[in-house]
Amino acid sequence: MEAKKKNSAMTFEDAMDELETIALKLESGTLGLDESIKEFERGMALAKFCHEKLEEAERKIEILQKGEDGKVKSKKVAVKQETGELEEGEELQGTLL
Amino acid sequence: METNNSFLSVTELNKLIKKEVETSPYLNNIYVKGEIYNLTYHSSGHIYFSLKDDDSTISATFFRYANKGLKFKLEEGMSVITFGNITVFEKRGTYQFNVMALRLDGIGELQKRIEQLKIKLGSEGIFDSNKKKPLPFLPKRIGIVTSPTGAAVRDILKVSLRRFPNLEIIIAPAKVQGDDAAMSIVKAIEELNNPKYQIDVIIAGRGGGSFEDLFVFNEEEVVRAFANSRVPIISAVGHEIDHPLCDHAADAAASTPSAAAEIAVPVKKELLDEVDYISNKILTTLINNINKEKTRLNNIESRKIFKNPEEIINYRELLLNDLEKQMLMHINKKISSQRQRLLSIANISHLEKKIITDLKHKFQLKIQKINNLSPMSVMARGFAVVLDKNNNIIKSKKNLKLGQSLDIKFVDGKISADITKIYEDI
Repeated sequence: MEAKKKNSAMTFEDAMDELETIALKLESGTLGLDESIKEFERGMALAKFCHEKLEEAERKIEILQKGEDGKVKSKKVAVKQETGELEEGEELQGTLL
Repeated sequence: METNNSFLSVTELNKLIKKEVETSPYLNNIYVKGEIYNLTYHSSGHIYFSLKDDDSTISATFFRYANKGLKFKLEEGMSVITFGNITVFEKRGTYQFNVMALRLDGIGELQKRIEQLKIKLGSEGIFDSNKKKPLPFLPKRIGIVTSPTGAAVRDILKVSLRRFPNLEIIIAPAKVQGDDAAMSIVKAIEELNNPKYQIDVIIAGRGGGSFEDLFVFNEEEVVRAFANSRVPIISAVGHEIDHPLCDHAADAAASTPSAAAEIAVPVKKELLDEVDYISNKILTTLINNINKEKTRLNNIESRKIFKNPEEIINYRELLLNDLEKQMLMHINKKISSQRQRLLSIANISHLEKKIITDLKHKFQLKIQKINNLSPMSVMARGFAVVLDKNNNIIKSKKNLKLGQSLDIKFVDGKISADITKIYEDI
């Protein structure tokens, strides 16, 4: 429960740092078996957290445009799945000025 | 011409000259090249100086309404090309060149402006390294400020998405050269700074071009927009030699838009590999540690004692027997030695008698002491006790009366006596 709470404010970087620390601690061979298993479990939770962080965002490309009413709106931009190049016929235009 | 009309007043002359000069096509809307000297920036905003070449000099005025568009500071000795017209000051009969526009002579003009702006903004602390924000390690959403039609936006998209396929990108289109370019870039940067977009890092710039093409990234308002960006911002102006000023104001700078994307976006595959590598390491280390413990346990278990547990009992039994034997031996030894000591005391009954005699003697001494303290023995030494009729001991003459009968008790008997006199003195 507490670990989960901690995770919500945790960044990917923090989790990676802690993961490395755990690896070092385990490798040092100074931990007892109970402690080792505890650290291992924490490590696995952190690895899972890192994976989740990496998958958190969804590919989404948008371009901002100034509408007739002067308000800025966003419009989806289609890019090719493989290369990230703009799809044929995709037109980008305008400024926010 | 009439004689009284054959002369002009000074005022009339100057008026005439003014009219002639100020309407002459040769003296209006002309370009004059020269060097600045006797330069004065007046508090009113007007600028006064002289233009000179090797042989001649002319006063010049550069009024506030004309010089407010000037983007750099004039300096003594500066070689300039001015545009304007001759005006006449009637009151003094002098004339000067009224500058409407001015630019530096030669290609050094823009460079000069940049140099001056760099010093000015630098002194404001805009380029200070302690103002630079760290870039996020793992941005979820990036913002792009560049021309929507240029190669830069495509390069940034391509490189970013190749590195991290599930990335959110918001493009704020901007003009990156020509009129309004500066305002356009400022607007776009400001828009992406709106917290509603939740942008983690901004890439702003354009692909390479001529010095003039890139000039907007040296404009004061653009440089300031980079410096003021709340969201970490990467300057991505394609350049070869000179850094545009926005490079110094940004939190990070890249020499191409693609390079900026590489700085901004981590390679997802590498991060995944690293996470997996470490978690595998943790797993194998744990297994190793467990195996080590197992081996230790096996080693212990394989010892004789754990294989034949009855041995431990046998061993204890042996130990116990041994102890029992030792104990018996020890006790026997002690008993015999005490017995020996007893036998060695020969005249034990004589010793007993001596002790009893000693004790009797001590007892009699004690009785004697007690006797000495009894009232009988006190009376035996000549004292007597006076009693009243009720056998109470009388300790004082107080309350005694003449003629009263008293008993006097001696150690060997009692007598009766009457009081015949009571003495006052003791």
